[in-house]
Amino acid sequence: MEAQIENKRWNFPNGKVNQEYCYEFDISKFMPEAVVETIDGLEEVGLTFDPETKQIAGTPNVPGEHKIKLTYKPKDWAEGKPVLEKEIGLIINPDPRSLWNDIPTDETIDYFKPDSDTRFIKVMSKKDMAAASKRGRSHAHEGKARDDDFSLHFDKETGWYIMVVADGAGSAKFSREGSKIACRTAIDVCKEQLLSLGDNFEREIQLFDKEKSQEKRNDVGKILYEIAGNAAFKAHKNIEKEARQKGNPVKDYSTTFILSISKKFNYGWFVGAFWVGDGGIGIYDKDTQYLKILGEPDGGEFAGQTRFLTMPEIIQPAEIYRRLRFDIVPDFTALVLMTDGITDPKFETDANLSRIEKWNDLWADLCNEVDFTNDNEQVADQLLKWLDFWSQGNHDDRTIAILF
Amino acid sequence: MRRLPVYLLLDTSGSMKGTPIESVKVGLEAMIASLRQDPFALESVCISIITFDREVKQLMPLTELENMQLPDIQTPESGPTHLGEALEVLCRKVDAEVQLSTPEKKGDWMPLLFIMTDGKPSDLQKYNQMIPEIKKRHFGSIIACAAGDKADPKPLELLTNQVYSLDTTDSTVFRQFFKWVSASVSMGNRSIGASDELLLPPPPPEVHTVI
Repeated sequence: MEAQIENKRWNFPNGKVNQEYCYEFDISKFMPEAVVETIDGLEEVGLTFDPETKQIAGTPNVPGEHKIKLTYKPKDWAEGKPVLEKEIGLIINPDPRSLWNDIPTDETIDYFKPDSDTRFIKVMSKKDMAAASKRGRSHAHEGKARDDDFSLHFDKETGWYIMVVADGAGSAKFSREGSKIACRTAIDVCKEQLLSLGDNFEREIQLFDKEKSQEKRNDVGKILYEIAGNAAFKAHKNIEKEARQKGNPVKDYSTTFILSISKKFNYGWFVGAFWVGDGGIGIYDKDTQYLKILGEPDGGEFAGQTRFLTMPEIIQPAEIYRRLRFDIVPDFTALVLMTDGITDPKFETDANLSRIEKWNDLWADLCNEVDFTNDNEQVADQLLKWLDFWSQGNHDDRTIAILF
Repeated sequence: MRRLPVYLLLDTSGSMKGTPIESVKVGLEAMIASLRQDPFALESVCISIITFDREVKQLMPLTELENMQLPDIQTPESGPTHLGEALEVLCRKVDAEVQLSTPEKKGDWMPLLFIMTDGKPSDLQKYNQMIPEIKKRHFGSIIACAAGDKADPKPLELLTNQVYSLDTTDSTVFRQFFKWVSASVSMGNRSIGASDELLLPPPPPEVHTVI
């Protein structure tokens, strides 16, 4: 029996640096009637043993696999007999936050992209737009470039707001360029199409607002397809063209894509959207607790599996049409577009994305650090700072674009 | 939090007794210690250890790296290598332990599988039956290692195209192997998505690819 105990490996439960540790060490559970004499080696780690309460407690401050020396009196110990020794393992994990590196991206790589980006567009006497994008810890740790991207545009002539966010696939070599091409192309195409189709589009939107019939809905949908659907299609084609010119597979440029076009009319706000991939887009109103998610996230069985704009099946007409959404609302607090670097930690599951409580939490969290009062020039920088929020296991690139 | 499940299938048949299994333990310990230094791994890796000899045992259910403590690994005096049965147990454990995405639950990353053997499956019929079952489980990557001169890489090739041979079963070689496993695990954490297969780091020089 004794020999068995001697051989068996003993371990205290693992601890973590800078995190409170508390474990009741009852030696009788291991060896009936044995009595602890001393425990050596705990102080060096930042812990103490209280013989009264039998508690090992404190805040560990040294990571590593420590050997703690226990001396004890066995069951039949008597004066004059030696006390026995036993080595006990104690693993203290480092704080993962202390292990992350922040290596700047090499500016000489193909398709270099800055590690963060912000943009603020002030629109006089109307809602403003702001966006921020930041490289995730996973990329910063290895000095790899940001794969996310975004673009914003406000058309002064027509009053249309255009926002795009895109998340280049982590596993695709040049996805940072895929997301960039997607964003730029979408803005160009939307601008152009709104210029030629805008009048007709606005007329159909107004007719739909008056009579919310399926027929009128289809009429709006058809033109939205020509604008937002076309933007997605051309974005795919432009990525394909770049890949072909460079002799790379299109898959290397894989990216998700979320686009919104919106405009204020005297009867309300029109918001149209196209979405492929993960992340999320929603119209949120804090006062009325209205929430509309403009599409569905594409997920797979396992984490990280999604669909990309660069997949040929995505740009089939029926598939494009299926992914279009639009809504007319009296007003809203925010129209938010975000990549999964934000939706994963803030919403966790697809089902949560349509829960108003989660949006209330997100908005409250944003408002803690970002001042969304009209014409605040600092808003984009504040957004960028907000993107640094800590969430264990979530270290992807983060991008958010808000119309507010 | 997204977990990266990692399954280790280790041969504990009679021939592993003594130096080989001690070397495996040393290698495993070094691997765990090095993974603890990797912030990706520390935040998401979960490990399970299954050993196989005459009996198949899950020594450790899928456990977060943060909370794990290496279990004792025992080898019998002698006995067969029930790798087929080990795969069967593995499938059962994967079904029970790996979380798939649902609207209400966040899915795990695709699991990784590492197999280490110094022989060949004694239960060949069962082994062959289990191969399609393993394929159905959608492992992000399967890496098999045939260690020592008695190891037969042929059956392993039916399971994966990533079969590596180790010349000997001493501690240096195992340490290298587990170091490589740990590098693969770290990489597995961040490269799943658009590509069909995981991008693996190149194997260490001691390891030979079986062609």
